[in-house]
Amino acid sequence: MTTAEAWKFAPAYELPTWPHVRAPDLDARERIRYPVVIAGGGLSGLTLACDLLLRGVAVVLLDEDDTVGVRGASSRGICYAQKSLEIFARLGIYEKIRAKGITWSVGRTFSGADEVYSFDLEDDRRSEQPPFINLQQFYLEWYLVNRIRELDEGAIRWKTSVVRVEHGSAGAIVHVETPLGTYALEADWFVDATGANSRIREELGIEAHVSRHTDRWCITDVRFEKPLQVERWTWIDAPFNEGRGVWQHLMADAVWRLDYQMDEHADPESISKPEIAGERLRAQLGPGVEFEFVWIGPYQYRDHLLDTFRVGRTIFVGDAAHVVCPFGARGGNNGIQDAGNLGWKLALVAAGEAGESLVDSYHAERHAAAVENLRVTSRTARFLAPRSAAEHRLRRAVVALARTHPFARKLANTGRMAQANDYPPSRWAPAGARSLQNVALGATTVMDLLADGTRFAGLWIGGSDAEVASLADLAQRLPFVAHAVAADGALASHLRAAPGTLVLVRPDAYIAATIAEPSRDRVEAALRCALALDDDDR
Amino acid sequence: MRTDPNIADPDAFYEAWVAAHGGLSDAESAALDARLVLLLANQVGDLQVLLDCIAAARRAAD
Repeated sequence: MTTAEAWKFAPAYELPTWPHVRAPDLDARERIRYPVVIAGGGLSGLTLACDLLLRGVAVVLLDEDDTVGVRGASSRGICYAQKSLEIFARLGIYEKIRAKGITWSVGRTFSGADEVYSFDLEDDRRSEQPPFINLQQFYLEWYLVNRIRELDEGAIRWKTSVVRVEHGSAGAIVHVETPLGTYALEADWFVDATGANSRIREELGIEAHVSRHTDRWCITDVRFEKPLQVERWTWIDAPFNEGRGVWQHLMADAVWRLDYQMDEHADPESISKPEIAGERLRAQLGPGVEFEFVWIGPYQYRDHLLDTFRVGRTIFVGDAAHVVCPFGARGGNNGIQDAGNLGWKLALVAAGEAGESLVDSYHAERHAAAVENLRVTSRTARFLAPRSAAEHRLRRAVVALARTHPFARKLANTGRMAQANDYPPSRWAPAGARSLQNVALGATTVMDLLADGTRFAGLWIGGSDAEVASLADLAQRLPFVAHAVAADGALASHLRAAPGTLVLVRPDAYIAATIAEPSRDRVEAALRCALALDDDDR
Repeated sequence: MRTDPNIADPDAFYEAWVAAHGGLSDAESAALDARLVLLLANQVGDLQVLLDCIAAARRAAD
């Protein structure tokens, strides 16, 4: 006879709370108008608010809660990708994330006891930031809140719920409810960052094209002493989980995220009972390893994608705009990168330095990214949850050949990790736009060059001081600054640009244009195009 | 016989292969794969390569 184990739970995290402060709007004779009002204090909303404040835009963020983290079954993201980390470097919270989080680059995929394939994302790294850092989402939100409060203590209005929005062609009127009464704010631009179940989106009658998946998983966040590799390990079919998938990842505070694929007909309540979750853990960890639960959460995933991310002066970011399956960390990172794409555009339009139609490029670029992320994650989901005996047979064939043949390893798919998406050609970027990593340039970095937040950087490969100076008057008229870059350095090699070329980098570290024989006129034309200065439809 | 990665977009290929099996019975799926093998064999052409592939597939049996 074996005696039942006693299951231990770690004490709950103590999250910070912030007080509701009486809004000036309640005592104003007339409604106050703000350049940007954001609803929702998750990853995308907080990143955008922080970004805009650093770019000098007055912003108000409305959050119905008074803390960070989740209430109920919301997102608990853990993996932050290089592009997100580069954004956080510019926002000034990267060092905190690095110090608290777990840096990793290697992933391994197993079938049974055999390794099917592995990758090391470090191989393609040119950036000052690593490929990935794992960190519980609430820490990241906490750092963002603290940073925002440093910049403008009153920017976040806690315990402030949006009850109704009047969407107009020149802005929005946002009606809110607070513990001290109701009021309305006027916004030149209104950003919905209220997440997957946005009521703002629903009340506008926007179709989200929701698709629900039947695949069922159960997250078990747990702390134990057994030393395991600090790598992303996934099993297509784990012997210790009845031949179904398992994910194994380390987060801050020595907490492991173990995510178990369940039978799709399993009862969520029963699979998340500590005694059932504990047996799964015991099967994976073996006897004699002490562990304590931090959190057990069953979930099914869904996806959705709006047809347009901009309706007049209302803009959708993060989960309010798009939700994909969680594989490859393409959820939260894309909310963060939505914010990174939108912030500089709103700032330049608000300052009158860019044409209003530049805001349409947010939809053009981030919708295309969401389409790609949806396609990539759906393929992973399909590989992980075959729908018929025939599909199982195809997958078994891949796994069987992958043991000896490299080509078949490319077909096994437990997630294609999030990268900064390339943007397709558009009127604002005729050759498309691709992300530039945060390469070091002597004592400075690409992110340092872009630190002021609203100026394009013209990187003249092998340019002389005189050549750079020839663009000085352009810098007087347009948000732009030129720099000479060594032709034999790391940046030139990452840019794959020939000596004599000028690479025009946007404030979000995407390359807007590569100009082979730079002249003041050519650079100006490229800038005016990227700033929508000639196609303004105001 | 090539065993290094040579499929241009492996995920797109796998997706299309899976999709082709949609709505088929198990017997119909097996028949589809048999027809697919014949079509692909005709792309390869070289008998020695085909014999090597047959042997490798046989060796990798579960």
